[in-house]
Amino acid sequence: MKQFGLFLGKEWREQARSFKLVWVPLVFIFFGALEPLTYHFLPQILESVGNMPEGSEFTLPEMTGADVYASLTGQYQTVGLLVLVLAFMGSLSGERKSGTGTLLYVRPISYAAYYMSKWTAAVLLAAASLWLGYGMAATYIVQLYDDMPGFSDLILFLLVMAVWIIFVVTLTLTASAALPTGGAAGAALGILFIGMMIDGLVGTYWTWSPWKLQSYGLAYLMGGPDTGDLAGALAVTSVLIAVLVMCGILMARRNAAKARV
Amino acid sequence: MSITEQLADVPWGLVWPLIAIQLVLMTAALIDLNRKRSTNGPVILWVFIIIFINTIGPVLYFTVGRRHS
Amino acid sequence: MNAVLEVSALTKQYDGFRAVDGLTFSLAEQTATALIGPNGSGKTTTLSMLAGLLRQSSGTIRFSGSGKDPRSAIGFLPQYPKFFPWMTAIEYMELAAGLSGLGGREVRTACEKTLGFVGLGEAGKKRIGGFSGGMKQRLGLAQAIIHRPALLLLDEPVSALDPAGRREVMEMLKELGESSTILYSTHILNDAEEMTDQLLFLRNGKLIEQGPLREVREKYGDSGYRVLFRDPEAAERFAGAAPWAGSADGSAVMISGEEVSMQELLRYASEHPEGITDIGRSSVRLEEIFMKVVEKP
Repeated sequence: MKQFGLFLGKEWREQARSFKLVWVPLVFIFFGALEPLTYHFLPQILESVGNMPEGSEFTLPEMTGADVYASLTGQYQTVGLLVLVLAFMGSLSGERKSGTGTLLYVRPISYAAYYMSKWTAAVLLAAASLWLGYGMAATYIVQLYDDMPGFSDLILFLLVMAVWIIFVVTLTLTASAALPTGGAAGAALGILFIGMMIDGLVGTYWTWSPWKLQSYGLAYLMGGPDTGDLAGALAVTSVLIAVLVMCGILMARRNAAKARV
Repeated sequence: MSITEQLADVPWGLVWPLIAIQLVLMTAALIDLNRKRSTNGPVILWVFIIIFINTIGPVLYFTVGRRHS
Repeated sequence: MNAVLEVSALTKQYDGFRAVDGLTFSLAEQTATALIGPNGSGKTTTLSMLAGLLRQSSGTIRFSGSGKDPRSAIGFLPQYPKFFPWMTAIEYMELAAGLSGLGGREVRTACEKTLGFVGLGEAGKKRIGGFSGGMKQRLGLAQAIIHRPALLLLDEPVSALDPAGRREVMEMLKELGESSTILYSTHILNDAEEMTDQLLFLRNGKLIEQGPLREVREKYGDSGYRVLFRDPEAAERFAGAAPWAGSADGSAVMISGEEVSMQELLRYASEHPEGITDIGRSSVRLEEIFMKVVEKP
């Protein structure tokens, strides 16, 4: 426990001094502001670009607050995931490669404390960034759109999305524990995006998967999800996160021998 | 519509946070670059990327531009 | 004397080659042992295994006395220690101390004291990113000794330093040697000569020679006496004499320490009271021994 505290302090300072604490939230906040703005002003933007064929009347579908959230979630599922994976891909592998880990591994450290401190710092930063992004979007939606989803629905949505983001971060950290940085990024992104493709193809039958969480979460904003499926997906995701954490700790220990001396 | 009219039409109250975020990202990236000066590829290239590519530039620098010494 | 560390048949096998091949040696308490060998002879691999970074393929490593994690009784300094550049020296020391089990209020004081000991007292609050190579080496030593380990493993502790820094660090190591057992690898044999109770020569992963410095010296160095005769001819005729390279007219020769020639020398001296102008003990330098050992078939 004492080691966990020491390591967490180190992770915290590292995130602050490498500006990770600044840029990761800002990217999410940026998209949170951009997405509602873009949709609201899309007609004017198209008009000013002026490429519209003569006489064509585009009737853009009327967007609701929930629609904007869905579209923003789509952004976070691509750019957001990319940013998170890139931000955390070197968490463990980088310390092995640079050799900074060597002087940690020669001490009587607990690899559980080592991994969990990184996990805690990364999960907190990622979840906070995601929530700040959706929060920023809320301030724009309130001003620009007629209907805003209910507050309690929004909270439930944010909680479900947080579980998904924890899964993403855990996958990235464990990949970083197991592989060199480049391989870790490739593996994490590969698994995430292939999972999305599989979900797109056979998702109707595969209802208990981490990749379903975002649509179940969004369903809270549009009338409520199938709570049975949501519970199943949450359970499966939690188990996967636990398994990934344990693998991560084991891999961190095993790969300590690969640290540069 | 003249340029000034167009500019006046822009809802600045809604847009300025975006500009502020970009400036903060750019500043943070430049401070970090100045402190480290070790990048993958030429430093000057990263200065241009950070300044001229909106939002993505600083993020690219923070994710793949920095090199661990 | 008690052995702090006993190593037996230690081997590290990689695909296709043996980096370390059957090392057996032990380190007695509060002694200093120099691990010497050409590049690629397995010094770093050996130290890494002893430090617990690498797992040996076979063989045993036994630490005396400690039932708990042996890593808490070891201080390790890699050849090029790497630190988090965004940390300050004092922050790094506190992390290192905490991870090695030190706790409580005295940690900060201990860290400051140790930084002072290695000559970084002024730089404690500076970020390591701005440190020079020599400063990093000193910080590396500081983090290795902060928990007062019984065994210090140092990989080329002075090789990266300039002569003045080298001298200073060697003095520090000598001071540390009074309370710790030290095993260090080095290229700088002049320095090793000053602080060595035992020598271990490695070549191609094998231990090809080991023993106390004095014994190794006797074995390889034709240690004897450099004798300066007044008469070059007498020098030439002298049994067991070998011309000495430093002599211009051949009047100075090397006499081996063997009994026969010593007796003869004494007899000559008594017969020719003024025939010998100077006698000096000659000891071979460690570097010469190194060359002989390494080139040994």
